[in-house]
Amino acid sequence: MANIAFHGDPAVKAQALERLRRHIAAGSFVYFPAWEEGKANVIGAVVEADDTPAYAEQLGYPLALAETLPAFVNGFRPQAEAERFAQAWLERTPVGADLSRIVSQLVLDLLANPELAALTERHPEVEDGRRAIMALHQRAMDGDEPDRKAWKVARMAAVAATDKLSETTEHRAGQVVEAAAWPGTMRTVLRDTLNGLGTLELHLALSRIGWTEEDESRVFHIREKAETDGYKAEFSGLDRVLAILDADHSALADQFRLRVELVEKSSARYRAAGWKALEMMENAPLATAQVPA
Amino acid sequence: MRHATEQDFDEIVMKNDKPVLVDFWAPWCAPCKALAPTLDEMAEEYAGEMEIVKVDIEANPGLAERFEVRGIPLLMIVKDGAEAARTFGTLSRSRLDAFVDTHVGAQ
Repeated sequence: MANIAFHGDPAVKAQALERLRRHIAAGSFVYFPAWEEGKANVIGAVVEADDTPAYAEQLGYPLALAETLPAFVNGFRPQAEAERFAQAWLERTPVGADLSRIVSQLVLDLLANPELAALTERHPEVEDGRRAIMALHQRAMDGDEPDRKAWKVARMAAVAATDKLSETTEHRAGQVVEAAAWPGTMRTVLRDTLNGLGTLELHLALSRIGWTEEDESRVFHIREKAETDGYKAEFSGLDRVLAILDADHSALADQFRLRVELVEKSSARYRAAGWKALEMMENAPLATAQVPA
Repeated sequence: MRHATEQDFDEIVMKNDKPVLVDFWAPWCAPCKALAPTLDEMAEEYAGEMEIVKVDIEANPGLAERFEVRGIPLLMIVKDGAEAARTFGTLSRSRLDAFVDTHVGAQ
């Protein structure tokens, strides 16, 4: 039973939860990699391999949802929060829920984002693309799956519309629309759309504090130079960057601190999408045929 | 999806009747790994129109040199035994589809 949670079998859910909890208790649950030397992420913990299709197939989740699951989990810090979400993911997915519409439902939710819509509405062709792609996902949810050609026409129109945008923010908005122009059965459609929206929101937040790509490049080169000449080598990682900026570029240091804060906050998009996915799965209809307990 | 080496590249790619999308990658390349699921799906989707062939540049440095691969992931389209187009770096699925559509003309 494809896309039926745990194939309607409570034992499948119980086994997945048991494996996940075992890794968490053993301290071998990690964000990355999926599966290496006994360490496992949210996928590897259940299937004990770096094998997202196997996770989707064994547990009955749509492949695009399984593909996006590590991105949801990575949005939770510290790790205890990630572990809590990973457990909630399995615990709260109802056995036998029909998950066949969830991917399109989530993509629709992302495309309806007000900040995204405010940007696309400035350009009729991009806005037409957003609406056309939303209509295709809605059709799929209604059981009238559009054919390959319909998706392709919408996708190429969205790409062409984005190519006409020269302003960076609007271009990023166009890329979110493009990313969504695939059926929910396509493995990366949800992950790409979510990443596109996350990138757009971060870009908007950084623009509001006046952080530019030139600033980003300046910090990158300062750090690169320090790697070469060994400046402030007593520090490491982010602390080293901040120590250099504090010493020699105080105005840039203040801005960079704000930038770091906003980057950390940007993970909220992934957490919100993860909880939204769970909520949708809880409200999904149950498939009629279930394996008796 | 086939993997080509220095020994069989010409046979698999240059003499192929269909257009070929060549993926130059390496085991240590994270963006290449991220691209892999997309290419897997594309291989199925475009099975009738083109073939996707992977080349590990670490195991086949001669091919990297022959095609002047300066960075990966690098995707190259070969048609009728000659390079028709190439694109370097991370590319979204939609952009990759548009790239293939332009140079292969898939329906």
